[in-house]
Amino acid sequence: MSKDVWTIVSIVIVAALSALSVAAISWGIDNHEIGFGFWIGSLLTMGIMSYLYADNPFYKFTEHLFVGVSASYWIATYYWTQIDTNLLGRLFPEKTSFLGMTIDFSRHGHEQNLWYLIPLVLGLFMLARLIPSIGWISRWSLSFVVGLYAGLRSYGYLQSNVMQQAKETFRPIIIPGDFWAGFNHLVLVVGVVSALLYFFFSKEHKGMFGTISRVGIFFLMVSFGAAFGFAVMGRISLLIGRFDFLIRASTAENGYPSIVVTVLMVAILSILAMKNKGKGEDEDELFEP
Amino acid sequence: MANDKSFLERLGDLDRRWVFIIIGLSVFIPLLVPLGLEVVTTPTTVDVFNAIDSLPAGTRVLISFEYGPSTQPEVEPMGVALLHHLFRKDCRVIATALWPDGQFMSARLFELFEAEYDLEWGVDYVNLGFRPGAEAVIKGIAKEFRANYRTDLRGNLVEDLPIMDGIYKVADVDFIFTLSAGYPGTVEWILYAADPYNIPMSSGVTAIQVNEVIPYVDAGQCYGILAGMSGAAEYETLVKKGDATKFMDAQSIAHFLIVLFIILGNISYIVGRRRQRSA
Repeated sequence: MSKDVWTIVSIVIVAALSALSVAAISWGIDNHEIGFGFWIGSLLTMGIMSYLYADNPFYKFTEHLFVGVSASYWIATYYWTQIDTNLLGRLFPEKTSFLGMTIDFSRHGHEQNLWYLIPLVLGLFMLARLIPSIGWISRWSLSFVVGLYAGLRSYGYLQSNVMQQAKETFRPIIIPGDFWAGFNHLVLVVGVVSALLYFFFSKEHKGMFGTISRVGIFFLMVSFGAAFGFAVMGRISLLIGRFDFLIRASTAENGYPSIVVTVLMVAILSILAMKNKGKGEDEDELFEP
Repeated sequence: MANDKSFLERLGDLDRRWVFIIIGLSVFIPLLVPLGLEVVTTPTTVDVFNAIDSLPAGTRVLISFEYGPSTQPEVEPMGVALLHHLFRKDCRVIATALWPDGQFMSARLFELFEAEYDLEWGVDYVNLGFRPGAEAVIKGIAKEFRANYRTDLRGNLVEDLPIMDGIYKVADVDFIFTLSAGYPGTVEWILYAADPYNIPMSSGVTAIQVNEVIPYVDAGQCYGILAGMSGAAEYETLVKKGDATKFMDAQSIAHFLIVLFIILGNISYIVGRRRQRSA
Protein backbone atom coordinates (compact mmCIF):
# COMPACT_ATOMS: atom_id res chain seq x y z
CA MET A 1 0.00 0.00 0.00
CA SER A 2 1.21 3.53 -0.70
CA LYS A 3 1.63 6.30 1.87
CA ASP A 4 -1.63 7.93 0.77
CA VAL A 5 -3.60 4.76 1.45
CA TRP A 6 -1.92 4.41 4.86
CA THR A 7 -2.81 8.02 5.65
CA ILE A 8 -6.48 7.39 4.85
CA VAL A 9 -6.45 4.16 6.87
CA SER A 10 -4.88 6.06 9.80
CA ILE A 11 -7.56 8.77 9.65
CA VAL A 12 -10.30 6.12 9.63
CA ILE A 13 -8.73 4.31 12.60
CA VAL A 14 -8.37 7.57 14.58
CA ALA A 15 -11.97 8.52 13.80
CA ALA A 16 -13.16 5.04 14.85
CA LEU A 17 -11.15 5.13 18.09
CA SER A 18 -12.41 8.61 18.90
CA ALA A 19 -16.02 7.59 18.25
CA LEU A 20 -15.52 4.45 20.35
CA SER A 21 -14.05 6.45 23.23
CA VAL A 22 -16.89 8.98 23.18
CA ALA A 23 -19.44 6.16 22.94
CA ALA A 24 -17.79 4.30 25.85
CA ILE A 25 -17.97 7.44 28.01
CA SER A 26 -21.60 8.14 27.08
CA TRP A 27 -22.57 4.50 27.78
CA GLY A 28 -20.94 4.78 31.20
CA ILE A 29 -18.40 2.05 30.48
CA ASP A 30 -15.42 2.03 32.81
CA ASN A 31 -12.28 1.84 30.69
CA HIS A 32 -10.44 0.15 33.56
CA GLU A 33 -12.97 -2.69 33.59
CA ILE A 34 -12.73 -3.55 29.90
CA GLY A 35 -9.01 -2.80 29.63
CA PHE A 36 -9.60 -0.48 26.68
CA GLY A 37 -6.71 1.71 27.82
CA PHE A 38 -4.35 -1.27 27.85
CA TRP A 39 -5.22 -2.07 24.23
CA ILE A 40 -4.73 1.51 23.05
CA GLY A 41 -1.57 1.88 25.16
CA SER A 42 -0.09 -1.36 23.85
CA LEU A 43 -0.88 -0.43 20.24
CA LEU A 44 0.70 3.01 20.55
CA THR A 45 3.73 1.83 22.52
CA MET A 46 4.53 -0.93 20.05
CA GLY A 47 3.77 1.44 17.16
CA ILE A 48 6.46 3.86 18.31
CA MET A 49 8.93 1.09 19.20
CA SER A 50 8.48 -0.49 15.78
CA TYR A 51 10.54 2.40 14.37
CA LEU A 52 13.61 0.71 15.85
CA TYR A 53 13.23 -1.89 13.10
CA ALA A 54 12.36 0.47 10.25
CA ASP A 55 10.07 3.34 9.33
CA ASN A 56 6.66 1.73 8.89
CA PRO A 57 2.93 2.46 8.76
CA PHE A 58 2.38 1.68 12.47
CA TYR A 59 5.02 4.20 13.45
CA LYS A 60 3.71 6.85 11.07
CA PHE A 61 0.17 6.37 12.36
CA THR A 62 1.27 6.68 15.99
CA GLU A 63 3.51 9.66 15.29
CA HIS A 64 0.75 11.58 13.52
CA LEU A 65 -1.74 10.69 16.22
CA PHE A 66 0.68 11.97 18.87
CA VAL A 67 1.23 15.27 17.08
CA GLY A 68 -2.49 15.84 16.58
CA VAL A 69 -3.51 14.87 20.10
CA SER A 70 -0.70 16.98 21.62
CA ALA A 71 -1.73 20.06 19.63
CA SER A 72 -5.39 19.79 20.60
CA TYR A 73 -4.50 18.95 24.22
CA TRP A 74 -2.31 22.06 24.52
CA ILE A 75 -4.92 24.29 22.91
CA ALA A 76 -7.64 23.02 25.25
CA THR A 77 -5.44 23.26 28.34
CA TYR A 78 -4.24 26.78 27.54
CA TYR A 79 -7.75 27.96 26.77
CA TRP A 80 -9.25 26.72 30.03
CA THR A 81 -6.33 27.66 32.29
CA GLN A 82 -5.27 30.95 30.73
CA ILE A 83 -7.75 32.55 28.34
CA ASP A 84 -10.90 31.48 30.20
CA THR A 85 -9.53 31.81 33.75
CA ASN A 86 -6.97 34.58 33.65
CA LEU A 87 -8.05 36.76 30.72
CA LEU A 88 -11.83 36.54 30.30
CA GLY A 89 -12.23 35.92 34.04
CA ARG A 90 -10.62 39.30 34.71
CA LEU A 91 -12.27 41.23 31.89
CA PHE A 92 -15.79 39.93 32.57
CA PRO A 93 -15.89 38.96 36.25
CA GLU A 94 -19.63 39.68 36.48
CA LYS A 95 -22.44 37.94 34.61
CA THR A 96 -23.22 40.17 31.65
CA SER A 97 -24.77 40.24 28.18
CA PHE A 98 -22.86 41.00 25.02
CA LEU A 99 -24.45 41.03 21.54
CA GLY A 100 -27.33 38.98 22.88
CA MET A 101 -25.03 36.38 24.47
CA THR A 102 -24.79 35.79 28.20
CA ILE A 103 -21.17 35.96 29.37
CA ASP A 104 -20.43 34.54 32.79
CA PHE A 105 -16.89 34.12 34.11
CA SER A 106 -17.78 34.92 37.70
CA ARG A 107 -16.83 31.38 38.78
CA HIS A 108 -13.14 32.35 38.74
CA GLY A 109 -13.69 34.89 41.55
CA HIS A 110 -11.58 37.67 40.00
CA GLU A 111 -12.20 41.39 40.23
CA GLN A 112 -12.38 43.36 37.01
CA ASN A 113 -8.97 44.45 35.76
CA LEU A 114 -9.01 46.33 32.47
CA TRP A 115 -5.20 46.23 32.21
CA TYR A 116 -5.81 42.77 30.79
CA LEU A 117 -7.06 44.42 27.60
CA ILE A 118 -3.37 44.88 26.74
CA PRO A 119 -2.55 41.13 26.67
CA LEU A 120 -5.84 40.60 24.80
CA VAL A 121 -4.77 43.04 22.09
CA LEU A 122 -1.22 41.62 22.00
CA GLY A 123 -2.69 38.14 21.69
CA LEU A 124 -4.87 39.23 18.78
CA PHE A 125 -1.80 40.80 17.17
CA MET A 126 -0.12 37.38 17.24
CA LEU A 127 -2.99 36.01 15.16
CA ALA A 128 -2.19 38.63 12.51
CA ARG A 129 0.48 36.22 11.26
CA LEU A 130 -2.36 34.31 9.64
CA ILE A 131 -2.90 37.26 7.25
CA PRO A 132 0.45 37.86 5.49
CA SER A 133 -0.29 41.49 4.56
CA ILE A 134 -0.57 42.53 8.22
CA GLY A 135 1.67 39.80 9.65
CA TRP A 136 4.24 42.38 10.77
CA ILE A 137 1.94 43.46 13.61
CA SER A 138 2.71 40.19 15.40
CA ARG A 139 6.28 41.41 15.91
CA TRP A 140 5.01 43.85 18.55
CA SER A 141 3.68 40.94 20.62
CA LEU A 142 6.85 38.96 20.08
CA SER A 143 8.97 41.93 21.16
CA PHE A 144 6.97 42.15 24.36
CA VAL A 145 7.49 38.45 25.10
CA VAL A 146 11.21 38.57 24.24
CA GLY A 147 11.75 41.73 26.31
CA LEU A 148 9.83 40.37 29.29
CA TYR A 149 11.67 37.05 29.40
CA ALA A 150 15.09 38.58 28.68
CA GLY A 151 14.60 40.90 31.63
CA LEU A 152 13.28 38.16 33.90
CA ARG A 153 16.06 35.73 33.08
CA SER A 154 18.92 38.22 33.22
CA TYR A 155 17.91 39.22 36.74
CA GLY A 156 17.60 35.62 37.94
CA TYR A 157 20.80 34.48 36.26
CA LEU A 158 22.81 37.39 37.59
CA GLN A 159 21.80 36.69 41.15
CA SER A 160 21.74 32.89 41.28
CA ASN A 161 24.15 31.82 38.56
CA VAL A 162 26.77 34.53 38.48
CA MET A 163 26.91 35.87 42.03
CA GLN A 164 26.01 32.75 44.03
CA GLN A 165 27.95 30.32 41.87
CA ALA A 166 31.06 32.50 41.73
CA LYS A 167 30.91 32.94 45.50
CA GLU A 168 30.74 29.17 46.03
CA THR A 169 33.79 28.65 43.82
CA PHE A 170 36.04 30.35 46.37
CA ARG A 171 36.49 27.61 48.92
CA PRO A 172 39.39 26.72 51.24
CA ILE A 173 41.74 24.19 49.69
CA ILE A 174 43.49 23.36 52.96
CA ILE A 175 41.09 22.00 55.55
CA PRO A 176 42.80 20.66 58.66
CA GLY A 177 41.80 17.07 59.32
CA ASP A 178 39.94 16.63 56.03
CA PHE A 179 42.46 16.32 53.21
CA TRP A 180 39.98 15.03 50.61
CA ALA A 181 37.49 17.87 51.14
CA GLY A 182 40.33 20.33 50.47
CA PHE A 183 41.41 18.29 47.44
CA ASN A 184 37.85 18.37 46.06
CA HIS A 185 37.82 22.14 46.40
CA LEU A 186 41.16 22.34 44.60
CA VAL A 187 39.75 20.27 41.72
CA LEU A 188 36.75 22.61 41.64
CA VAL A 189 38.92 25.72 41.41
CA VAL A 190 41.24 24.23 38.77
CA GLY A 191 38.24 23.02 36.76
CA VAL A 192 36.42 26.35 36.82
CA VAL A 193 39.50 28.44 35.97
CA SER A 194 40.83 26.15 33.22
CA ALA A 195 37.39 25.67 31.61
CA LEU A 196 36.79 29.44 31.63
CA LEU A 197 40.21 30.04 30.06
CA TYR A 198 39.38 27.57 27.28
CA PHE A 199 36.57 29.93 26.24
CA PHE A 200 38.88 32.96 26.24
CA PHE A 201 39.58 33.52 22.54
CA SER A 202 41.38 36.88 22.60
CA LYS A 203 44.72 35.16 23.14
CA GLU A 204 46.21 32.31 21.16
CA HIS A 205 46.10 29.00 23.04
CA LYS A 206 49.88 28.49 23.26
CA GLY A 207 52.47 27.95 25.98
CA MET A 208 51.24 28.03 29.58
CA PHE A 209 47.90 29.48 28.47
CA GLY A 210 47.45 26.62 25.98
CA THR A 211 48.32 24.02 28.63
CA ILE A 212 45.76 25.40 31.07
CA SER A 213 43.06 25.58 28.39
CA ARG A 214 43.84 21.95 27.47
CA VAL A 215 43.26 21.01 31.11
CA GLY A 216 39.95 22.85 30.73
CA ILE A 217 39.08 20.58 27.80
CA PHE A 218 39.55 17.52 30.05
CA PHE A 219 37.12 18.96 32.59
CA LEU A 220 34.64 19.72 29.82
CA MET A 221 35.01 16.16 28.49
CA VAL A 222 34.29 14.74 31.94
CA SER A 223 31.22 16.99 32.12
CA PHE A 224 30.01 15.81 28.70
CA GLY A 225 30.62 12.21 29.70
CA ALA A 226 28.57 12.65 32.87
CA ALA A 227 25.80 14.31 30.84
CA PHE A 228 25.82 11.39 28.37
CA GLY A 229 25.71 8.88 31.23
CA PHE A 230 22.74 10.62 32.80
CA ALA A 231 21.03 10.85 29.40
CA VAL A 232 21.43 7.07 28.96
CA MET A 233 20.07 6.49 32.47
CA GLY A 234 17.06 8.68 31.69
CA ARG A 235 16.29 6.91 28.42
CA ILE A 236 16.61 3.46 29.98
CA SER A 237 14.24 4.59 32.76
CA LEU A 238 11.65 5.51 30.15
CA LEU A 239 12.11 2.15 28.43
CA ILE A 240 11.62 0.44 31.80
CA GLY A 241 8.42 2.44 32.27
CA ARG A 242 7.05 1.28 28.91
CA PHE A 243 8.06 -2.35 29.45
CA ASP A 244 6.48 -2.27 32.89
CA PHE A 245 3.27 -1.06 31.24
CA LEU A 246 3.42 -3.81 28.61
CA ILE A 247 3.92 -6.44 31.31
CA ARG A 248 0.95 -5.10 33.27
CA ALA A 249 -1.05 -5.08 30.02
CA SER A 250 -0.34 -8.74 29.33
CA THR A 251 -2.87 -10.19 31.76
CA ALA A 252 -5.60 -12.66 30.79
CA GLU A 253 -8.40 -10.53 32.29
CA ASN A 254 -7.81 -7.86 29.65
CA GLY A 255 -7.38 -10.38 26.82
CA TYR A 256 -3.54 -10.25 26.64
CA PRO A 257 -3.49 -6.88 24.81
CA SER A 258 0.27 -6.32 24.71
CA ILE A 259 0.99 -9.90 23.58
CA VAL A 260 -1.69 -9.86 20.87
CA VAL A 261 -0.61 -6.45 19.59
CA THR A 262 3.08 -7.44 19.54
CA VAL A 263 2.47 -10.71 17.68
CA LEU A 264 0.20 -9.05 15.10
CA MET A 265 2.59 -6.16 14.56
CA VAL A 266 5.62 -8.41 14.17
CA ALA A 267 3.71 -10.57 11.69
CA ILE A 268 2.58 -7.60 9.57
CA LEU A 269 6.04 -5.98 9.63
CA SER A 270 7.60 -9.29 8.61
CA ILE A 271 5.27 -9.53 5.61
CA LEU A 272 6.08 -5.93 4.65
CA ALA A 273 9.81 -6.60 5.04
CA MET A 274 9.59 -9.73 2.85
CA LYS A 275 7.68 -7.80 0.19
CA ASN A 276 10.38 -5.14 0.24
CA LYS A 277 13.26 -7.60 0.14
CA GLY A 278 15.23 -7.69 -3.06
CA LYS A 279 13.63 -4.55 -4.45
CA GLY A 280 16.80 -2.62 -3.76
CA GLU A 281 14.93 0.05 -1.81
CA ASP A 282 15.92 1.61 1.47
CA GLU A 283 15.60 -1.21 3.99
CA ASP A 284 14.96 1.33 6.74
CA GLU A 285 11.58 2.13 5.25
CA LEU A 286 8.78 -0.38 4.80
CA PHE A 287 6.54 1.75 2.59
CA GLU A 288 6.06 1.24 -1.11
CA PRO A 289 7.54 4.24 -2.91
CA MET B 1 37.10 -6.38 1.66
CA ALA B 2 34.55 -7.36 4.26
CA ASN B 3 35.80 -10.98 4.47
CA ASP B 4 39.31 -9.82 5.49
CA LYS B 5 37.95 -8.20 8.58
CA SER B 6 38.65 -9.77 11.96
CA PHE B 7 35.89 -10.71 14.39
CA LEU B 8 36.43 -7.52 16.40
CA GLU B 9 36.18 -5.37 13.28
CA ARG B 10 33.01 -7.11 12.14
CA LEU B 11 31.56 -6.45 15.59
CA GLY B 12 31.70 -2.75 14.75
CA ASP B 13 29.54 -3.37 11.68
CA LEU B 14 26.84 -5.13 13.71
CA ASP B 15 23.36 -4.14 12.59
CA ARG B 16 22.01 -1.66 15.15
CA ARG B 17 18.82 -3.72 15.49
CA TRP B 18 20.78 -6.46 17.27
CA VAL B 19 21.94 -3.86 19.79
CA PHE B 20 18.31 -2.75 20.27
CA ILE B 21 17.20 -6.36 20.84
CA ILE B 22 19.97 -7.06 23.36
CA ILE B 23 19.29 -3.83 25.28
CA GLY B 24 15.55 -4.56 25.15
CA LEU B 25 16.04 -8.05 26.58
CA SER B 26 18.45 -6.75 29.24
CA VAL B 27 15.66 -4.48 30.45
CA PHE B 28 12.74 -6.87 29.93
CA ILE B 29 14.12 -10.02 31.58
CA PRO B 30 15.06 -8.42 34.96
CA LEU B 31 11.55 -6.95 35.14
CA LEU B 32 10.14 -10.48 34.87
CA VAL B 33 12.83 -12.12 37.02
CA PRO B 34 14.15 -9.56 39.55
CA LEU B 35 17.66 -10.12 40.82
CA GLY B 36 17.36 -7.97 43.94
CA LEU B 37 20.60 -6.03 43.45
CA GLU B 38 21.47 -3.74 46.34
CA VAL B 39 20.57 -0.04 46.12
CA VAL B 40 23.25 2.13 47.73
CA THR B 41 22.21 5.63 48.81
CA THR B 42 24.26 8.62 47.66
CA PRO B 43 24.90 11.74 49.80
CA THR B 44 22.67 13.99 47.65
CA THR B 45 19.70 11.65 48.25
CA VAL B 46 20.44 11.49 51.97
CA ASP B 47 20.46 15.31 52.00
CA VAL B 48 16.95 15.35 50.52
CA PHE B 49 15.78 12.78 53.06
CA ASN B 50 17.28 14.72 55.97
CA ALA B 51 15.79 18.01 54.74
CA ILE B 52 12.29 16.50 54.56
CA ASP B 53 12.72 14.48 57.73
CA SER B 54 13.59 17.60 59.72
CA LEU B 55 10.28 19.32 58.84
CA PRO B 56 7.94 19.55 61.84
CA ALA B 57 4.30 18.38 61.64
CA GLY B 58 2.02 20.93 60.02
CA THR B 59 4.75 22.31 57.74
CA ARG B 60 3.31 23.59 54.49
CA VAL B 61 5.29 22.28 51.56
CA LEU B 62 4.77 23.57 48.03
CA ILE B 63 5.36 20.80 45.50
CA SER B 64 5.52 21.82 41.88
CA PHE B 65 4.83 19.12 39.33
CA GLU B 66 6.87 19.80 36.20
CA TYR B 67 6.66 16.52 34.36
CA GLY B 68 4.30 14.66 32.08
CA PRO B 69 3.51 11.16 30.84
CA SER B 70 6.75 10.98 28.84
CA THR B 71 8.90 11.32 31.98
CA GLN B 72 6.45 9.75 34.41
CA PRO B 73 8.43 6.49 34.90
CA GLU B 74 11.41 8.49 36.13
CA VAL B 75 9.79 11.19 38.24
CA GLU B 76 6.60 9.65 39.60
CA PRO B 77 8.38 7.16 41.89
CA MET B 78 10.09 10.14 43.54
CA GLY B 79 6.72 11.79 44.02
CA VAL B 80 5.26 8.63 45.55
CA ALA B 81 8.11 8.24 48.06
CA LEU B 82 8.12 11.96 48.84
CA LEU B 83 4.38 12.12 49.52
CA HIS B 84 4.61 9.04 51.76
CA HIS B 85 7.36 10.78 53.69
CA LEU B 86 5.48 14.09 53.97
CA PHE B 87 2.06 12.70 54.87
CA ARG B 88 3.60 10.29 57.37
CA LYS B 89 5.12 13.35 59.05
CA ASP B 90 1.73 15.08 58.95
CA CYS B 91 2.98 17.85 56.65
CA ARG B 92 0.55 19.80 54.43
CA VAL B 93 1.01 19.82 50.67
CA ILE B 94 0.19 22.60 48.21
CA ALA B 95 0.57 21.37 44.64
CA THR B 96 1.20 23.61 41.64
CA ALA B 97 2.28 22.92 38.06
CA LEU B 98 4.15 24.91 35.44
CA TRP B 99 3.58 22.12 32.91
CA PRO B 100 0.06 21.49 31.60
CA ASP B 101 0.47 17.75 32.22
CA GLY B 102 1.70 18.39 35.74
CA GLN B 103 -1.76 18.93 37.16
CA PHE B 104 -2.89 15.52 35.93
CA MET B 105 0.23 13.88 37.30
CA SER B 106 -0.38 15.42 40.73
CA ALA B 107 -4.11 14.61 40.67
CA ARG B 108 -3.25 11.00 39.87
CA LEU B 109 -0.81 10.82 42.79
CA PHE B 110 -3.16 12.42 45.33
CA GLU B 111 -5.84 9.89 44.37
CA LEU B 112 -3.49 7.15 45.56
CA PHE B 113 -2.85 8.85 48.89
CA GLU B 114 -6.28 10.24 49.78
CA ALA B 115 -7.64 7.03 51.29
CA GLU B 116 -4.41 5.69 52.76
CA TYR B 117 -3.72 8.81 54.86
CA ASP B 118 -7.35 9.96 55.23
CA LEU B 119 -6.51 13.29 53.59
CA GLU B 120 -8.92 16.18 53.36
CA TRP B 121 -8.82 18.51 50.35
CA GLY B 122 -8.08 22.07 51.35
CA VAL B 123 -6.90 21.04 54.80
CA ASP B 124 -4.17 18.41 54.37
CA TYR B 125 -3.48 19.12 50.72
CA VAL B 126 -4.69 21.14 47.79
CA ASN B 127 -4.04 20.93 44.08
CA LEU B 128 -3.91 24.41 42.57
CA GLY B 129 -3.29 23.10 39.08
CA PHE B 130 -1.44 24.50 36.10
CA ARG B 131 -0.69 28.11 35.23
CA PRO B 132 1.09 28.98 31.98
CA GLY B 133 3.93 31.49 31.98
CA ALA B 134 6.89 29.51 33.37
CA GLU B 135 9.13 31.82 35.46
CA ALA B 136 6.57 34.62 35.14
CA VAL B 137 4.22 32.52 37.28
CA ILE B 138 6.90 32.05 39.94
CA LYS B 139 7.62 35.78 39.90
CA GLY B 140 3.88 36.39 40.14
CA ILE B 141 3.29 34.17 43.17
CA ALA B 142 6.42 35.58 44.76
CA LYS B 143 4.59 38.90 44.87
CA GLU B 144 0.93 37.91 45.11
CA PHE B 145 0.00 34.23 45.35
CA ARG B 146 -3.74 34.71 45.09
CA ALA B 147 -3.63 36.95 42.03
CA ASN B 148 -2.17 34.01 40.10
CA TYR B 149 -4.03 31.21 41.85
CA ARG B 150 -7.49 32.55 42.60
CA THR B 151 -9.12 29.11 42.59
CA ASP B 152 -7.90 25.55 43.06
CA LEU B 153 -8.32 22.69 40.59
CA ARG B 154 -11.83 21.98 41.89
CA GLY B 155 -12.92 25.60 41.50
CA ASN B 156 -12.84 26.47 45.22
CA LEU B 157 -11.69 29.99 46.05
CA VAL B 158 -8.16 29.84 47.47
CA GLU B 159 -9.08 32.28 50.25
CA ASP B 160 -11.64 29.75 51.54
CA LEU B 161 -9.06 26.95 51.95
CA PRO B 162 -7.69 26.44 55.49
CA ILE B 163 -4.38 25.18 54.10
CA MET B 164 -3.84 28.56 52.41
CA ASP B 165 -4.38 30.60 55.58
CA GLY B 166 -1.63 33.20 55.81
CA ILE B 167 -0.13 32.33 52.44
CA TYR B 168 -0.13 35.52 50.37
CA LYS B 169 3.20 35.13 48.64
CA VAL B 170 5.56 32.26 47.93
CA ALA B 171 7.83 33.22 50.85
CA ASP B 172 4.97 32.24 53.18
CA VAL B 173 5.38 28.53 52.37
CA ASP B 174 7.85 26.65 54.55
CA PHE B 175 9.52 24.46 51.95
CA ILE B 176 9.54 24.04 48.17
CA PHE B 177 10.02 20.74 46.39
CA THR B 178 10.05 20.47 42.61
CA LEU B 179 9.48 17.30 40.64
CA SER B 180 11.06 18.43 37.43
CA ALA B 181 11.68 17.06 33.96
CA GLY B 182 12.96 20.16 32.18
CA TYR B 183 12.06 23.77 31.52
CA PRO B 184 10.38 25.33 33.41
CA GLY B 185 11.43 23.42 36.49
CA THR B 186 13.94 23.22 39.28
CA VAL B 187 16.31 25.89 37.94
CA GLU B 188 13.51 28.45 37.60
CA TRP B 189 12.26 27.77 41.14
CA ILE B 190 15.78 28.30 42.46
CA LEU B 191 16.29 31.47 40.44
CA TYR B 192 12.98 33.18 41.19
CA ALA B 193 11.77 31.76 44.51
CA ALA B 194 14.29 29.85 46.64
CA ASP B 195 17.30 32.15 46.15
CA PRO B 196 15.71 35.61 46.28
CA TYR B 197 13.41 34.81 49.23
CA ASN B 198 15.63 32.32 51.11
CA ILE B 199 13.04 29.55 50.97
CA PRO B 200 14.50 26.10 51.69
CA MET B 201 14.14 23.97 48.61
CA SER B 202 14.87 20.49 47.36
CA SER B 203 14.22 18.68 44.13
CA GLY B 204 13.75 15.45 42.25
CA VAL B 205 14.77 15.64 38.60
CA THR B 206 15.12 13.46 35.54
CA ALA B 207 18.60 12.04 35.03
CA ILE B 208 19.22 14.24 32.02
CA GLN B 209 18.75 17.36 34.18
CA VAL B 210 21.21 16.37 36.89
CA ASN B 211 24.23 18.06 35.32
CA GLU B 212 22.27 21.29 35.05
CA VAL B 213 21.00 21.27 38.63
CA ILE B 214 23.96 19.79 40.54
CA PRO B 215 25.92 23.11 40.69
CA TYR B 216 23.04 24.62 42.68
CA VAL B 217 23.09 21.63 45.04
CA ASP B 218 26.83 21.94 45.48
CA ALA B 219 26.47 25.64 46.22
CA GLY B 220 23.81 24.99 48.86
CA GLN B 221 21.03 26.67 46.84
CA CYS B 222 19.10 23.37 46.81
CA TYR B 223 19.12 20.75 49.58
CA GLY B 224 20.19 17.59 47.81
CA ILE B 225 18.75 16.13 44.65
CA LEU B 226 16.97 12.94 43.63
CA ALA B 227 18.72 12.02 40.40
CA GLY B 228 16.48 10.10 38.03
CA MET B 229 15.10 6.66 38.70
CA SER B 230 18.14 5.66 40.76
CA GLY B 231 17.56 8.70 43.01
CA ALA B 232 13.96 7.61 43.44
CA ALA B 233 15.04 4.08 44.36
CA GLU B 234 17.57 5.42 46.87
CA TYR B 235 14.95 7.65 48.46
CA GLU B 236 12.58 4.70 48.64
CA THR B 237 15.10 2.66 50.57
CA LEU B 238 15.30 5.50 53.12
CA VAL B 239 11.53 6.06 53.28
CA LYS B 240 10.90 2.29 53.03
CA LYS B 241 7.99 2.75 50.63
CA GLY B 242 7.67 2.79 46.83
CA ASP B 243 8.15 0.83 43.60
CA ALA B 244 11.24 2.20 41.85
CA THR B 245 13.64 -0.19 43.59
CA LYS B 246 12.27 -3.15 41.59
CA PHE B 247 13.29 -1.36 38.36
CA MET B 248 16.93 -0.90 39.36
CA ASP B 249 18.01 -4.43 38.31
CA ALA B 250 16.96 -3.65 34.74
CA GLN B 251 18.64 -0.25 34.94
CA SER B 252 21.94 -1.70 36.21
CA ILE B 253 22.12 -4.53 33.68
CA ALA B 254 21.27 -2.23 30.77
CA HIS B 255 23.98 0.21 31.87
CA PHE B 256 26.51 -2.60 32.13
CA LEU B 257 25.69 -3.73 28.59
CA ILE B 258 25.88 -0.19 27.19
CA VAL B 259 29.32 0.27 28.75
CA LEU B 260 30.32 -3.08 27.22
CA PHE B 261 29.06 -1.98 23.78
CA ILE B 262 30.98 1.29 24.06
CA ILE B 263 34.21 -0.56 24.93
CA LEU B 264 33.72 -3.13 22.14
CA GLY B 265 32.85 -0.36 19.66
CA ASN B 266 36.03 1.50 20.50
CA ILE B 267 38.18 -1.63 20.30
CA SER B 268 36.63 -2.48 16.94
CA TYR B 269 37.35 1.04 15.68
CA ILE B 270 40.97 0.99 16.90
CA VAL B 271 41.64 -2.47 15.42
CA GLY B 272 40.15 -1.37 12.09
CA ARG B 273 42.19 1.82 12.02
CA ARG B 274 45.42 -0.05 12.79
CA ARG B 275 44.75 -2.55 10.01
CA GLN B 276 44.06 0.25 7.53
CA ARG B 277 47.29 2.01 8.51
CA SER B 278 49.37 -1.15 8.18
CA ALA B 279 47.79 -2.00 4.80
